[in-house]
Amino acid sequence: MARRSILGLFSDPDTTANAMDALRGAGYKDWELDILSGAPYPEGTFGEHMPSHHLFKFPLIGAACGLAVAILLTAGTQLAYPVVTGGKPILAIPAMAIICYEGTMLGAILFTVFGIIFESRLPRPRVGIYDKRITEGYIGIVVTSDETRVVQAEKTLKMAGAIEIKSGA
Amino acid sequence: MHNGHNGEALAASPEEVTQDILRKHREFTPRFKALVAVLAVLFLLGVVGFIIRLQDGFEHRVKWGYYAAVVVYLLTTAQAAPMVAIAPRLAKANWRRPVSRAAEMFGVVGLFNLLLFIPLLFLLPSTEGRRTIWFDGPSMSPHIWDTLAMVFLVLCGLAMLWAGSLPDMAAARDHSSGRRQGLFAKLAMGWRGTDLQWFLIRHRIGALASLYFMFLVFTHFLIASDFVLGLVPGWKDSIFPAFQALSALQSSIATMLVTMFVLRKWCGYERYIGLEQFWALSKLLLATSLLWFYFWWSGFIIFWYGRQPVEQNVISLIISGPYLPIFFTTFILNFIIPLVLLIWNAVRRSILGPTVVGCSILVGTFFDRIRLYVSAFSIEDVTAHALTVVPPAHTPDIADILIIIGALSGAGLSYALATKVFPVVNIWEIKEYMLLRVQAAFHRMEVTILAKPE
Amino acid sequence: MQQRVSLEDRQINRDLLRGVLEHPLWWFALVGFVGLVLLAGVISTGYMITKGIGVTGLNRPVMWGFFITNFVFWVGISHAGVMISAILRLTQAEWRRPVTRAAEVLTVFALMTAALHPVIHTGRPWRLLYWAFPYDFSRGIFVNVRSPLIWDPSAIFTYLTGSSLFVFVALLPDLAVLRDRTTGIVHHVYSVLCLGWRGTPKQWKLQTVAGILLSALILPVFVSVHSIVSWDFAVATSVEAWHSTIFAPYFVIGAVHSGVSAVVTMMALMRWLWKWDKYIRPEHFDALGRLLIVVSTTWFFFFFLEVLFGIYGQESPEIALREMQIFQWPWSMLFIIFLLTAYFIPVPLWLFPKVRRSITLMFWTSILVNIGMWLERFLIIVPGLARKQPLTFSWGTYHPSIIEILIVAASFALVAFLLLIFSKVFPLIPLFEQKEGQLFAKELRVGRKKVPAVIREE
Repeated sequence: MARRSILGLFSDPDTTANAMDALRGAGYKDWELDILSGAPYPEGTFGEHMPSHHLFKFPLIGAACGLAVAILLTAGTQLAYPVVTGGKPILAIPAMAIICYEGTMLGAILFTVFGIIFESRLPRPRVGIYDKRITEGYIGIVVTSDETRVVQAEKTLKMAGAIEIKSGA
Repeated sequence: MHNGHNGEALAASPEEVTQDILRKHREFTPRFKALVAVLAVLFLLGVVGFIIRLQDGFEHRVKWGYYAAVVVYLLTTAQAAPMVAIAPRLAKANWRRPVSRAAEMFGVVGLFNLLLFIPLLFLLPSTEGRRTIWFDGPSMSPHIWDTLAMVFLVLCGLAMLWAGSLPDMAAARDHSSGRRQGLFAKLAMGWRGTDLQWFLIRHRIGALASLYFMFLVFTHFLIASDFVLGLVPGWKDSIFPAFQALSALQSSIATMLVTMFVLRKWCGYERYIGLEQFWALSKLLLATSLLWFYFWWSGFIIFWYGRQPVEQNVISLIISGPYLPIFFTTFILNFIIPLVLLIWNAVRRSILGPTVVGCSILVGTFFDRIRLYVSAFSIEDVTAHALTVVPPAHTPDIADILIIIGALSGAGLSYALATKVFPVVNIWEIKEYMLLRVQAAFHRMEVTILAKPE
Repeated sequence: MQQRVSLEDRQINRDLLRGVLEHPLWWFALVGFVGLVLLAGVISTGYMITKGIGVTGLNRPVMWGFFITNFVFWVGISHAGVMISAILRLTQAEWRRPVTRAAEVLTVFALMTAALHPVIHTGRPWRLLYWAFPYDFSRGIFVNVRSPLIWDPSAIFTYLTGSSLFVFVALLPDLAVLRDRTTGIVHHVYSVLCLGWRGTPKQWKLQTVAGILLSALILPVFVSVHSIVSWDFAVATSVEAWHSTIFAPYFVIGAVHSGVSAVVTMMALMRWLWKWDKYIRPEHFDALGRLLIVVSTTWFFFFFLEVLFGIYGQESPEIALREMQIFQWPWSMLFIIFLLTAYFIPVPLWLFPKVRRSITLMFWTSILVNIGMWLERFLIIVPGLARKQPLTFSWGTYHPSIIEILIVAASFALVAFLLLIFSKVFPLIPLFEQKEGQLFAKELRVGRKKVPAVIREE
């Protein structure tokens, strides 16, 4: 069945929250609804579905990779050209620890940033249904569903006080 | 919102809170009496140990190594604990309010520790012929200045405690009768709660608090320089006094976490001390534990890399030599365990997790003080040019063990007795907290609104 | 005494995008001026590379002079960003909101500039690859990972990568605002840069979590960077005074001192140049001033420990060095200026709330701090080297040449130039932070009094 999205634009958070209640009352599920806003409202302001994510796993994996690479690099370079300098042993652990630390942190940071972009499902080649006024303080409710339910949703949104309804693919 | 939150207490009326805390303050429960009795007996055992030790006289410094370690341990833990009231007060963090009194009350333990400090003065050699931070000053400089610093620190702590509890003393006065009323009337100094009095208490405790903070750092600097660095010839270590001060900050949080846990679990204060306090402190504990490693490492890498003979001997003395197992224990308890446990938000945001880490740090710091003070005290010739021979490890005898037990129970005993003079939970700060922290609805969401008055 | 202003999102957009969307004359004039200074530096560098480092004042035994001093100085300034944005994010300090972006960007540009200095200092920049890159290109010799001169690039690389990505991630929502406010080719560029940001709850949540997570990750890196810079000096035993255990935290806190002061300077300039009076308010300077009192006093304590335990050993090279540093003309003059500007003039002034809330005074005191902190590095590096030998005939001194002075001046111009260009392309105050601040600001009534309050999500 063809799926379609519509965007209801609201001017203030209260009406948005009411509209969300109305949609929820009309039987729309969490995965059919999404909010677009220009500022980070406290989680659950509109009674929306609390997003879950796995971001915390990324830095751990990154740190492990970074540490492994750093150990290889520091141990490898010292063993490949074993010359004693400054009376320190060939595998000088305190000296290696410093570079390993940097490697670990670099891995963790790189993977975190990768994780943020991945978990945000960015980059999106097409923005999809959107309105420029969202970054001006308006709040949008996006309903994505099949044709009949979208038509129904449009009515609900209008009833709830949407100042404009946009529809897209 | 979640378990263990102190929202419950905040829903109660101010009058109810006052009554409840004062009742707990007044009561002598059988459990309390038993605790005092046990601590008193253990403390007397310590006195016995001390008398045995006195028989050896003050000539052999090494015999007093464990004694010094436990005195400095109390300086690092109990006397630092008021920092948990001071730092958030200066940063205007509201969460401190229910626990600020419990932290300030460790000033009383400071008084006890001041007594323990006296014998150490007899052990400190004159500065003549050795390198100290006093250079060519009078040969008794460290004795004089270290004592003054300790006395001032203790006085400042007591002043802060007493000034901060005036309104609560007045509350105790107003809710009691007979001799008890007379006693608290004296302690409250005629507090009435006028605008001026509140202004002074809000704004002037801050000044005392900053003074206490500075003196805490300063005292640690003096004690570490005179009782460790000055006794080891050739050990030149500029980070060491700062490391000791930092370790005190870490231990202060650990001390308070354990104290808070005890107050919640066995003293019936779980309504007031909640997850918010544990959560806030556990973040600071993680930060100070990371800094503990950082300060230790900053000193170590310089000596390890430098490889001068004296540097290698110092590393052997306190890290890799006779005290290696003790260093290893310290390292695990003060850094590895806090790191591994506290990086998880689930652990930080719990009551038990931070308490376990707190215990770990308290034990670790104890071993750390043994490693530093016993080893420094075992050096015979303090006037040598450099440390050439690393003395063997000195094991404690029965007197040392009795002294350790006695000193720790004496500290506990003085704190326990103090709870009957000062209400251990701050009544007026709890009331202020109730005014400044509100649960409200934000559209479809329940949120906390926190006010921050200037 | 907070002076909160209530603002519409639309007005926030209009005000804060002023730097990007408007083209005032002063901006072009400033860019032109710093561009000229920069050009002088580029020409000087070119001249030095062709002629060799004989054209500088560097000679035995003082082989580290203005370039390395300036390198340490700029690494120090680069500690502003993370100090401000990471610590304040983690402690949920509300007053961070207008400060974060500027501080982070200053970090990135200061660090880039700093990294240039060792490259210039080598005199033969193209050879740097052999010395620092962990691969044997032709000679069968790997770089020596036991040397702090290799720890340094690894730390700076990590910090630069981390803080640049940090800036980029926090820019995403603001880039979406720019996408919505521009047309034509510029619109397409911002569309690509913002990666198709829409502002769904999940994106916002990740933005918040990312701020905290990245702060927590970059914070330990930030500490390590200046520590490692200090170990360039401290681990070796050849210069007595450098071989001090306090060096790492002493450098780090000194860096925070100069970095936060640089942020104050920058905030004052932003308020004056773009007229962002509603966003950068006296209360922000007040908070920064309080922070600076604590930071600078800790720094001073470490400085005291460094000097005390320097002379503690009473060894002759150390005594000779301190004598030169503190008592010998002209170093003595520099030493007094350093003490006065880095601590004794600004800190007593900051104790007064009136000074902390005066933007002009905060601007000038923050400039003073950075004069002092530049001298601090200079006084550590040059006298240390000049007196590093125990025998008097091998002592030396140092006079910077005009080439070095020009290159140092150009480094300031470079940072200013990069910041000005940045301000033309991206907003210097994060828009979404302002909007969030508006949402989270509340008031509590206690009796008749209104107390400013904030919403906390738990």
